[in-house]
Amino acid sequence: MEESIVNLEKKAKWVRNQVLEMCVGAGAGHIAPAYSCTDILVALYEGGILRVNPHNLTWEDRDRFILSKGQACASLYAVLADMGFLPVSELSSYTRLGSRLGGHSETNVPGVEAFTGSLGHGLALGAGMALAARINRKDYLTVVLLGDGELQEGSNWESAMFASHHHLGNLIAIVDRNGLEALDFTEKVLALDPLIKKWEAFGWEVQTADGHSYDSLLSTLGDIRSRQSGEPLVVIALTTKGKGVSFMENSPIWHFRIPEGDELEQARKELA
Amino acid sequence: MRVDFFESLYDIATKDDRVILLTSDTGALVLDRFEQDLPEQFINVGIAEANMVGVAAGLAKNGKIVYIYAIIPFVTMRVYEQIRVDVCCDNLPVKAVGVGAGMDYSSLGPTHHALEDIALMRSLPQMTILSPCDNVSASAFARLSYELPGPVYIRCERYAELSVYLDPSEDFTDGLKILRKGTDLCIIATGRMVLTAQRAADELSNRSIEATVIDLYRVKPLNVELLMKAINGLKVVVTLEEHSIIGGIGSAVSEVLAESGQAYRFKRLGLPDKFCRQYGTREYLLTLNNLDVSQVTNTILRMLE
Repeated sequence: MEESIVNLEKKAKWVRNQVLEMCVGAGAGHIAPAYSCTDILVALYEGGILRVNPHNLTWEDRDRFILSKGQACASLYAVLADMGFLPVSELSSYTRLGSRLGGHSETNVPGVEAFTGSLGHGLALGAGMALAARINRKDYLTVVLLGDGELQEGSNWESAMFASHHHLGNLIAIVDRNGLEALDFTEKVLALDPLIKKWEAFGWEVQTADGHSYDSLLSTLGDIRSRQSGEPLVVIALTTKGKGVSFMENSPIWHFRIPEGDELEQARKELA
Repeated sequence: MRVDFFESLYDIATKDDRVILLTSDTGALVLDRFEQDLPEQFINVGIAEANMVGVAAGLAKNGKIVYIYAIIPFVTMRVYEQIRVDVCCDNLPVKAVGVGAGMDYSSLGPTHHALEDIALMRSLPQMTILSPCDNVSASAFARLSYELPGPVYIRCERYAELSVYLDPSEDFTDGLKILRKGTDLCIIATGRMVLTAQRAADELSNRSIEATVIDLYRVKPLNVELLMKAINGLKVVVTLEEHSIIGGIGSAVSEVLAESGQAYRFKRLGLPDKFCRQYGTREYLLTLNNLDVSQVTNTILRMLE
């Protein structure tokens, strides 16, 4: 276990490096939002939580993963590349002329299940996929990664009601709770707390995890497949926006900023 | 009209369990049988249209052909961005069935009127728009929408008046139908206004003015070639619709004519660019907007003077 966690941490560092170079090369991109959920993505894919096969994209029994906070797609693309869904060499084409890798996740990228970028869409899509699994008598899981600021979109709560009303126990939401949205802290802009009570009141089972600890993530997510509950599950993952580069961490200005000069050098040093 | 559409859809759904019908708490007597006989294929998702579209897209990504149903403003305007991103971006088989074209819900006021839906849906890539004018076309459009692979918007009425089409096996794949041929002008109509166009053509004929009448039942994609062939060199063209004159079939046809390199005398007849704050029957509201048969006839006569 210890060794595999060290491996996952190495993977995460590699992903963060890729994200940095992708966005610096492109001159644009959401680095800090991508860093916030990097460990969650690495745990899901590289930690063996998700049942996916890069060589069989249309496998009916594959788990469905939706990155509802589509602005974090650089880290998803890096993880998918490491998993073999697309060539690692393609990552450097991110948002360049002729590339299929854009600034928000799109379904033309192998392994990407949903068009996202407009916030508040992923949970409804996930609910539809989870419902399809039940109707089609399939045992795949649908996992939706939500930004916390995104929860200000009312559509999420329509879907939260729908999922619990229809007992979609095969639907798992993970909230990347970094406490920040584009311009400021969520609690300052439009408060989300008490977030756990909100989800509970909507009929969801709620768990919390440290979104940067593989110990915590793997123990929380490790048994999602064996759940027998009819309640959908939400994991509130406590995270730090910009995690991995000290000056980006928990700092509102880094939502959509690209480091230059000394900043870039320091970021590279910290991720080395 | 709605009953014809859903009865036809019911028949399709009994033979194909991929067909799922979602409604956001919008009823119709005809849906009861759907819910009773096909409980796995019917969900009232509640008054939550944004979620309805996302769920429909999620189902459609997993092999389902999904119909979403509500009064027009709530299944088009309220969820426009969900339809754009979740449905159209991935070209999914999600079919939006809107009821209440134009002033169908006359007395319910502007929230329930549908003046802008064609304009909105027409600008969405991948979207097909079907606009039935009677029970035969409504019934046929259930099957047509089912057979089309991508997103479809069906602009329905609650009730149909007289039948325009007499043959239940009428072929609707061309996109438009020439209902009568004339030598003096061409009236292009859609939805219930097709009946008004036919009646106006009768009145004009009594004055020895002969109009071609076209039912433009597929608003998008337009069959431009057939449309130009149907106009057949007539130089006076009128469009007639129960929709805002901005962005509806008047706009669609004028775009084609303007790019044709030929000159036309052209007029858009439709609802003006304002909210209707009057109440009463649909007929009354149409009269207020110069859209009853005699008003349309007179407008055309003035145009021909």
